[in-house]
Amino acid sequence: MELSDANLQTLTEYLKKTLDPDPAIRRPAEKFLESVEGSQNYPLLLLTLLEKSQENVIKVCASVTFKNYIKRNWRIVEDEPNKICESDRIAIKANIVPLMLSSPEQIQKQLSDAISIIGREDFPQKWPDLLTEMVNRFQSGDFHVINGVLRTAHSLFKRYRHEFKSNELWSEIKLVLDAFALPLTNLFKATIELCSTHANDASALKVLFSSLILIAKLFYSLNFQDLPEFFEDNMETWMTNFHSLLTLDNKLLQTDDEEEAGLLELLKSQICDNAALYAQKYDEEFQPYLPRFVTAIWNLLVTTGQEVKYDLLVSNAIQFLASVCERPHYKHLFEDQNTLTSICEKVIVPNMEFRAADEEAFEDNSEEYIRRDLEGSDIDTRRRAACDLVRGLCKFFEGPVTGIFSGYVNSMLQEYAKNPSVNWKHKDAAIYLVTSLASKAQTQKHGITQANELVNLTEFFVNHIQPDLKSATVNEFPVLKADGIKYIMIFRNQVPKEQLLVSIPLLINHLQAESIVVHTYAAHALERLFTMRGTNNATLITAAEMAPFVEVLLTNLFKALTLPGSSENEYIMKAIMRSFSLLQESIIPYIPSVITQLTQKLLAVSKNPSKPHFNHYMFESICLSIRITCKANPEAVGSFEEALFLVFTEILQNDVQEFIPYVFQVMSLLLEMHKNEIPSSYMALFPHLLQPVLWERTGNIPPLVRLLQAYLERGASTIASAAADKIPGLLGVFQKLIASKANDHQGFYLLNSIIEHMPPESVDQYRKQIFILLFQRLQSSKTTKFIKS
Amino acid sequence: MPVRKHGQHMKLFKNKGKDETTLRRQRVEVSVELRKAKKDEQILKRRNISIHLKEENPSLGQDRAAEIVQPSLEEIVEAVNGEDTQLQLLATQATRRLLSRHKDPPINQIIELGIIPRMVEFLGRADNATLQFEAAWALTNIASGTSEHTRAVVEGGAIPAFISLLSSPHMHISEQSVWALGNIAGDGPIYRDVLIARDVIPPLLALVSPTTPVGFLRNITWTLSNLCRNKNPCPPLDAVLKILPVLVILLQHEDKDVISDSCWAVSYLTDGCNDRIQVVVETGILPRLVELMDCPDLIVMTPALRAIGNVVTGTDQQTQEAISAGALAVLPRLLRHSKSVIQKEAAWTLSNIAAGPSHQIQQIITCGLLPPLVELLDKGDFKAQKEAVWVVANFTTGATVDQVVELVRSGVLKPLLNLLLVKDSKTILLILDTISNLFLAAEKLGETEKLCLLVEELDGLEKIEDLQNHENDLVYRAALDIIEKYFSGEENINLEPQTGQDGLYDFSVEKQDFNF
Repeated sequence: MELSDANLQTLTEYLKKTLDPDPAIRRPAEKFLESVEGSQNYPLLLLTLLEKSQENVIKVCASVTFKNYIKRNWRIVEDEPNKICESDRIAIKANIVPLMLSSPEQIQKQLSDAISIIGREDFPQKWPDLLTEMVNRFQSGDFHVINGVLRTAHSLFKRYRHEFKSNELWSEIKLVLDAFALPLTNLFKATIELCSTHANDASALKVLFSSLILIAKLFYSLNFQDLPEFFEDNMETWMTNFHSLLTLDNKLLQTDDEEEAGLLELLKSQICDNAALYAQKYDEEFQPYLPRFVTAIWNLLVTTGQEVKYDLLVSNAIQFLASVCERPHYKHLFEDQNTLTSICEKVIVPNMEFRAADEEAFEDNSEEYIRRDLEGSDIDTRRRAACDLVRGLCKFFEGPVTGIFSGYVNSMLQEYAKNPSVNWKHKDAAIYLVTSLASKAQTQKHGITQANELVNLTEFFVNHIQPDLKSATVNEFPVLKADGIKYIMIFRNQVPKEQLLVSIPLLINHLQAESIVVHTYAAHALERLFTMRGTNNATLITAAEMAPFVEVLLTNLFKALTLPGSSENEYIMKAIMRSFSLLQESIIPYIPSVITQLTQKLLAVSKNPSKPHFNHYMFESICLSIRITCKANPEAVGSFEEALFLVFTEILQNDVQEFIPYVFQVMSLLLEMHKNEIPSSYMALFPHLLQPVLWERTGNIPPLVRLLQAYLERGASTIASAAADKIPGLLGVFQKLIASKANDHQGFYLLNSIIEHMPPESVDQYRKQIFILLFQRLQSSKTTKFIKS
Repeated sequence: MPVRKHGQHMKLFKNKGKDETTLRRQRVEVSVELRKAKKDEQILKRRNISIHLKEENPSLGQDRAAEIVQPSLEEIVEAVNGEDTQLQLLATQATRRLLSRHKDPPINQIIELGIIPRMVEFLGRADNATLQFEAAWALTNIASGTSEHTRAVVEGGAIPAFISLLSSPHMHISEQSVWALGNIAGDGPIYRDVLIARDVIPPLLALVSPTTPVGFLRNITWTLSNLCRNKNPCPPLDAVLKILPVLVILLQHEDKDVISDSCWAVSYLTDGCNDRIQVVVETGILPRLVELMDCPDLIVMTPALRAIGNVVTGTDQQTQEAISAGALAVLPRLLRHSKSVIQKEAAWTLSNIAAGPSHQIQQIITCGLLPPLVELLDKGDFKAQKEAVWVVANFTTGATVDQVVELVRSGVLKPLLNLLLVKDSKTILLILDTISNLFLAAEKLGETEKLCLLVEELDGLEKIEDLQNHENDLVYRAALDIIEKYFSGEENINLEPQTGQDGLYDFSVEKQDFNF
């Protein structure tokens, strides 16, 4: 392709077509572009277009296409042809930086990405002048250009944060430091000066602060692997300025947005990260600066508001304090009683409060709320950071910290008692505080396993948790209800069993609560209690103890699935499964109703399976009902088949891939329950099970093998007599399986069942082939697994 | 990549494939450094700025007059190149004085004057000891500069002149030559080997005697240490064999500086391949080094520890020699030393012992190293913690199941898991590998579930889960691997006892009756 106007025109037209919503126009255009991208000059045509096209949309489109082209083709893979000719590579590298810097932001971003992709391959050896070219722009004074350079540098250098130390990497970093560290430092100083001269110019400040953020990020990358000599020598400059930026505030930079972090927050947050990096890795050198940062960060915390936009900053800042306070040689910074009190009062307590945003999530986004609260995916939240700080402080000051907080807990509980409907949030904070103070070690399976001895958990439970749960109105103060249930859940190993037994009917009752969080927590708490182990590894709570509650438990659990928002609630379904498993034969009287409800649910969700955990527990529950019932009464298998086969047929016919393996599993189970000859309804299905299309999906293989084994066990003679023509198909499945290294063991399971159960004369004629296949496999791809099995 | 030269016995270990990551590591992993040169290292080159020498020496009496009138550089050139011996002396003294001033000696300018060959000539003026001495001093100080500067002195022909001055009847001249040669040797392996080839060693060693004054002996020891220093290549074996017996004697000296530099010399000799370590081990010096490792003076302790640390990068047998010399008994104190560099070096040493066979690991346990190790993991400075992680990683690679149990009992898990938050990908990966090793041991004991709970209780699980988002591919995969293997099967673990062995979704139909 020549660099001609005609080609530019053609390319413009095709690019335009790639934006067409109609696939009939779009797809061929995309195909065309792909077909010509190997031609010389293609990338240069794109660069020309993104610079000079008359239409902005073409410029943007060309820039995106260019970046994707670079992403796909720039890397030279060994033994593969070079996909971009050398002269194009040279031309791209020569032009891309100035082009990026002179482009509007939208295009700049694409080109900056492209530069970092190229840089990853070519920098520094094959692109020696990139750095000088970038550094020279620092002097331009044009912050649009400077930010472009900084952004590109950031994307080039950020890999230093996670790659392993190596000679190659460190040589590169050294090279970068030599060329970049001093200009970056000068730029940092100059930018800060400009910030004060432009302190009253909002738009200038925004640009300058964007630069500062990028500079702070570059600092992090360049200092990550080790403390470079240059930065050690210039620590004073950097740290003094970082420190003063932490304390800086400017009305013009405050944003109205409550959610999105503003430039000021982002900058301070990055500075906290930088300080934390130095505190962790370069402690010796950073020691003189550390106390100042502790004070500044602490003041920052005291003065920062509750809005969501500050969350990242606050959690980073608290985490910094948490990591410092547990170091022996910084202990003294915290040990003063006034300091401790003020950290507790001004940093920890406010960040444990239930905020408007939490309340909103509790009501409107319960799924997310539960995930964060129960599953600990709360690493970045304020509450979590505050908890970590409590634990960090407890390392050296457990007594005083517990003392201070006990006072707070009591006063907050008193506030609540004065006027519950107004002050319920105080109680929430009190419970949260007790929880975080008391828990030293926690696991999903056992809840809290080590508790702080200074907190009397049972007393708190009896005096402050149970009364809430005993209240007649399940829907009042849902947050406190959820707190109470969660308390039972996490302290289940600390609270004595008799108290747990008292709680069980309360929990069952709360399955009816309207709040999704509350009934979900109730289900989850029951599920956890049912898994607890007592002596002899038997369940702590026995089926006998549960006898009075079986009916109401099952009723409420299934009713909870009909509450708005919980139709596919995995916690409830898991609780159902766990209840079956605990209650065993006591559920039999309720099976007819249970199995109807489960099959209806199955039918409903099979239209669009979306919750894999829910589905899994649902099938588990179905299996448990079958097992428990048929154990007592094998004849009952027929009624299950009656109830389930209709839905199963539908699932198989509609090819609901998520459910098919489960269906085979349940069928194997049912078939195994039969004591006699294989029923004809199963035989009718046999040929279909051998269809290759089923065996192409790896997820189907284990359950299908198991199902075929069940067929062979129960009906080998029927197969030999009535379906002898299917034997080669059956062996074909075996052959297919042993051909694969991943599935060969499944092939052996199948073969084993064939040999064991089929009448010998029906397979004699295939014996030789079987051995040949085995030896062939042995010869062609010998694996340890294959030889051993 | 960690460097390990002696992979043989590691191959016998159970965890094949892990061998690459946890091996004996020589001290320098990466030759490119980003940091400032280390402050705790021995000095490569030294400038002679001592004033007292001048006072001691009556022949320098006329200095006082010269101090008043400092000649210009032009005058110096003229005088040095002239024939007037007195002027030559004055100019040489003036040069020496310029080069001995505390701040910014004008080495470059002096070199540019082109007077070095002339100064070298003066070294040969046996008739004029004062001139010889002043020239030797001036050249010593030029050679103490950068490699450029040293080269100027060597290219001026100074090496043979200085070597012959070692045997000067005047002790102060001989001592100044020792110093100059030390600076030249310290420049690097090339000049070091030039000196050795010129037979610098015999006359140098001849200077060591019971009557040698301590100050002189310090200089000799330092120069000897520079002759042992540097790798790529390391000094010729026959030279080493000549120096070693003298070092053995010097290590018994009572002067701390002499001992310190002798230790440095030994540490250089052991910083190399096993053959070189063997040569040192065979002198029987290890017990003395271990004793010195316990010396309260940092200048002695540091190089002695370094030397022992180097020895244990060697073969199992060589490592055993260090253990038998009592190294493990001293290490607990060093792991708890107030200086973090000592902690770090001690942990590095221990990590290489932990890379050995299980009977050596057993000695680590017996000598009570686990408690200080756990303390270091918990509270040490970052660099020391990193080395401590290596100890644990190597330990779990080679230890028996019982030894691993002992390690876990000593409380290693909590600080180890806390370190998963560290900002260093390699350390994180090592910890993850270590956790996998711990699980392998737990599996053998049937205690997998217990370990799972322990890891979760100590907040390890959420950290490992979080690492599944790590940018580094190997870290991410290692974390994922642990989660998938040990933490994703909650259902089966919980359900199995209740539904019998063939839990429905437990797909493993493990029938063992195959006979293929």
